[in-house]
Amino acid sequence: MEIRPIFSALMRNKMAPLLVAAQVAISLALLANALHIVKERTVMSSRQTGMVDEASTFLLDLRHLKAPPHEENIALQLRQTQLLAAIPGVLGATWTTQMPLTRSGSQSGITHSREVKPSVAASRYYSTDGFINTMGLKIIEGRDFKAEEIAIVNVETDTIQPATVIITRALANYLFPNEVSVVGKPIYWGQGADADSSTIVGVVERLQTTNAQRGVSAEYSAISPARISSPRSDFVIRVEAGQRDRIMAESEEVIRKSHAQPMIIRTESVEKHRAERYRNDNGLAWMLIAVSVLLMLITVSGIVGMTALWVSQRRKQIGVRRALGATQFDILRYFITENILITTLGIATGLLLAIGLNQLLVAKFELAKLPISYLTIGSVIFFLLGIVAAYAPARRAASISPALATRSV
Amino acid sequence: MFSYYFKLGLNSLRRNPILTALMVLTLAVGVAASISTLTVLTAMMSDPIPEKSRNLLVPLIDNGPLEGYEAGKEQEQSRLPYRDAVTFLNSQQGIRRTAVYTVSGAIEPAQANLPVLDISGSATTADFFTMFEVPFLFGGAWRVEDDTAAANVVVISKNISEKLFGNDNPVGKRIRLFGLDYQVAGVTAVWRPSPRFVNVFNNQRGAYVGEEDVFIPFANAIATQKRHDGSTWCMGSKMGPGYQGLLDSECTWVQFWFEVTNAAERTAVHEYLRGFTAEQRKLGRYMRNNKDQVFDVMEWMAHLGVVSDDRKLSAWLAFGFLLLCLVNTVGLLLAKFSTRGAEVGVRRALGASRRQIFNQFFVETAVLGLAGGALGLILSFGGLWLLSQQSLQIAAVARIDWQMFFLTFALAVSASLIAGIWPTWRACTISPAAELKSQ
Amino acid sequence: MLKMKNLSKIYRTHMIETHALRGFEINVAQGEFVTVTGPSGSGKTSFLNIAGLLEEFSSGEYFLDGVDVSGLNDAGRSKLRNEKLGFIFQGFNLIPDLNLFDNVDVPLRYRGLNASERKQRIEDALSQVGLASRAKHYPAELSGGQQQRVAIARALAGKPKVLLADEPTGNLDSQMARSVMELLEDINAKGTTILMVTHDPELAIRTQRNVHIIDGQVSDLVRKDPSLLVPQPIRVADSSHASHA
Repeated sequence: MEIRPIFSALMRNKMAPLLVAAQVAISLALLANALHIVKERTVMSSRQTGMVDEASTFLLDLRHLKAPPHEENIALQLRQTQLLAAIPGVLGATWTTQMPLTRSGSQSGITHSREVKPSVAASRYYSTDGFINTMGLKIIEGRDFKAEEIAIVNVETDTIQPATVIITRALANYLFPNEVSVVGKPIYWGQGADADSSTIVGVVERLQTTNAQRGVSAEYSAISPARISSPRSDFVIRVEAGQRDRIMAESEEVIRKSHAQPMIIRTESVEKHRAERYRNDNGLAWMLIAVSVLLMLITVSGIVGMTALWVSQRRKQIGVRRALGATQFDILRYFITENILITTLGIATGLLLAIGLNQLLVAKFELAKLPISYLTIGSVIFFLLGIVAAYAPARRAASISPALATRSV
Repeated sequence: MFSYYFKLGLNSLRRNPILTALMVLTLAVGVAASISTLTVLTAMMSDPIPEKSRNLLVPLIDNGPLEGYEAGKEQEQSRLPYRDAVTFLNSQQGIRRTAVYTVSGAIEPAQANLPVLDISGSATTADFFTMFEVPFLFGGAWRVEDDTAAANVVVISKNISEKLFGNDNPVGKRIRLFGLDYQVAGVTAVWRPSPRFVNVFNNQRGAYVGEEDVFIPFANAIATQKRHDGSTWCMGSKMGPGYQGLLDSECTWVQFWFEVTNAAERTAVHEYLRGFTAEQRKLGRYMRNNKDQVFDVMEWMAHLGVVSDDRKLSAWLAFGFLLLCLVNTVGLLLAKFSTRGAEVGVRRALGASRRQIFNQFFVETAVLGLAGGALGLILSFGGLWLLSQQSLQIAAVARIDWQMFFLTFALAVSASLIAGIWPTWRACTISPAAELKSQ
Repeated sequence: MLKMKNLSKIYRTHMIETHALRGFEINVAQGEFVTVTGPSGSGKTSFLNIAGLLEEFSSGEYFLDGVDVSGLNDAGRSKLRNEKLGFIFQGFNLIPDLNLFDNVDVPLRYRGLNASERKQRIEDALSQVGLASRAKHYPAELSGGQQQRVAIARALAGKPKVLLADEPTGNLDSQMARSVMELLEDINAKGTTILMVTHDPELAIRTQRNVHIIDGQVSDLVRKDPSLLVPQPIRVADSSHASHA
């Protein structure tokens, strides 16, 4: 099929084909960037926390209306931990100060030397020797805490810094980029001559921070062995598969009975924490998917509409061509080829637009550069859409009777 | 003549229902996407206290240690340490001052059958209510003497009042709060500035959700050792033990506001800050050489970045989408008008001037725009509902007000008219003689 | 009523100049019924389009009811067209989206008449062509002859001084054609000037005056004696309407 006559026909009637090309271009630019953002967000929201079985893990949070005195509070924590662990189906229960994905908790500045500045902010978990096991964290170097390492801290009077610490692999890599082994090395809480230090006794493969922020710092966490008397106690509990909801209710009951004074007790599954943490990201992803579908629908409707218009404008011409010996297939091919020319123009423009839009988004928002693969995928999608959309009107054109040529209207 | 064109427009759209539906739908979808994202964005960016927002000022100083300091780097803390807050409260700068921090805990109702109420509120000073124009249902703010005396007085929200006292006026009654007895000084009417600019939450609740349940005097909260329920930013120097350790530390957790009446007073506050930090530097307490800054309400919201980038991103993409819908509509209108050459020819022959033809087709596209606007409005409600599912923050602000209502129609009509200019111009420059012959 | 002096019409494309009319002279008095004949491409359509103010001419003069047309802009020409002229086409050219009432209404709207007067005129015009009862019907529901009657009603509603008809019977069978022709003669008898382009010699014979156009120029054949209407040796014109093809 010769392209030249089709092309020159297009050039004589510029506006309509340009409109279709413009639609393809805009759609491609939006689609490539939208899909890129969707992918980025879904990758982010499916990152692992380091917990072995999120679906079976939950948090129990209790607040004393009037905090018991220090000794009594510590004793109560221990007793409550035992009560929770004794519930049938519970695989582990441990007191802690915070949990991944909850977006509230403490951070500390950490360095590998008192002189280094600045420090890196890491999520600071205070918990006890059961934490690694209950969470199901994977120790890749060193060991878990020993019971005697747990510091008992009275927030009203003590400023004790536990002597040992377990950190994540990501944090270890950041602090000691060139070391194979980090166990036995000290880290410093803050800078300056009076900064406290703790010795690394273990490294876990992964433990997300409470914020689970963007990027590698989402795994900068440190666990300090301590039991703190505060008006608020959190317990992390892991149970056998399928038992979570039952045990969540049961554990609230157990805790309520464990202490005579009024308390506010709340349980939340890790699944809920995850959903809440990534609600915005998932919402944005779904919105973009919906917009992408609409984009394609509108572009297809545009191509169908314009092709149909050209067909109806050229009915007589088509009849004449048929009368002069063009086969149905020739007519079909003519319109499809014409459409491919237009779509290709649109795609070429769209690629430039997509890159431009991406650069704008990169500059204005935290967005990674658009990988070439999205441009390729987007181009293929619109190339195929163009052919599919042009097919129906082109078929109609092909079915026009040659007799039309002889009619005077 | 306009009504004639209007009737013709309606008539013509009715005679070609599929094409019309397609155009209206395309316009409506584009408009709805733009309007719903824009509604969220403008609601989030709106001024929570327009009459006063330029006169309410937040001071920002940098009390961090030299360790880890890089000159020119934006400081991370946004609040004050307790000791500076107290100094500023006593500074006589501006016409009013207040310090705020978040306290939370429980109210134990007197009736044993009622459950314990899990509440969150603000520790602040009596001036707070005047400065932020908090409306009262009963009573009012506590007296200034209550601030000095760190008295156990409380202002409660309408919601809490109804839970504890039904519709009665509780002023003067006592409630059991944080394990202590407090006397009710007033009940606030619904007060939900959006965003909650006074003491912005940057945690999971966000800046747009919820309201204060209770207010107690700042001095009382300190005296009863209430800790800030929110981020407490501590850097560098080690903290002493206990509550006194926190008060003496450089940890920042108190939100501070000055109220002024004009720009000159704002400059005075800024001058005061400069003097204060210079003095503290001389004393060796402040070590960094960072700029001291003063923000009004909107500057402060921008500084804290309360509007998430995702909202702006959505709005941008939505307008890109509207552009696509616009191009699509141009194409469809071109298709529609190009089948009407004969009509244009006849009308021209019967005495219509080019201008009259232009007007006729222009009105027709405007009618299309109105239909697109009406459908777009309905779809906007749907779009907002969908967006609301994304977060509580959006759900809290997602309302279509009159402004947005009219903007929807304005956007739809102007979009259709922009889309219609080229096809309309083409229609009115048709050569009538040619159209009449080649029928 | 209608006077053209030394009028010419040249179509220009980027390569060719085509003379559709040259040194064209005609003077039609009020109340005349003139048929215009001529071979294809002779310029009779150009003549009718220029007479109807649908096209502009290249040089010369044209007075319509005493008004010098060449000095008018689009709005002025449109107004003149609306007030003085009525059109009837071979293809009827009714607006398919409008019912008969609204079709006849079109020229009255552009004249800016008030609602009651428009209604009166539309009803009068429709009853004059015998279609008053069909006012709410759409063109597609009528036969060709009926459609042409509506087109005539539409032309009459504006009470034009001159009625321009382009092959009004070309798409009709002979019986319908005859009745349309009788209607036109009736209208002419009441004082309206009519210019009618036709191919049909039978119709040309019926009128008082027949203008024959060949190669953009007029040869006037004045009536009565049918023998005068013996076909002239027809030259195939080498000029053609270059545009609009």
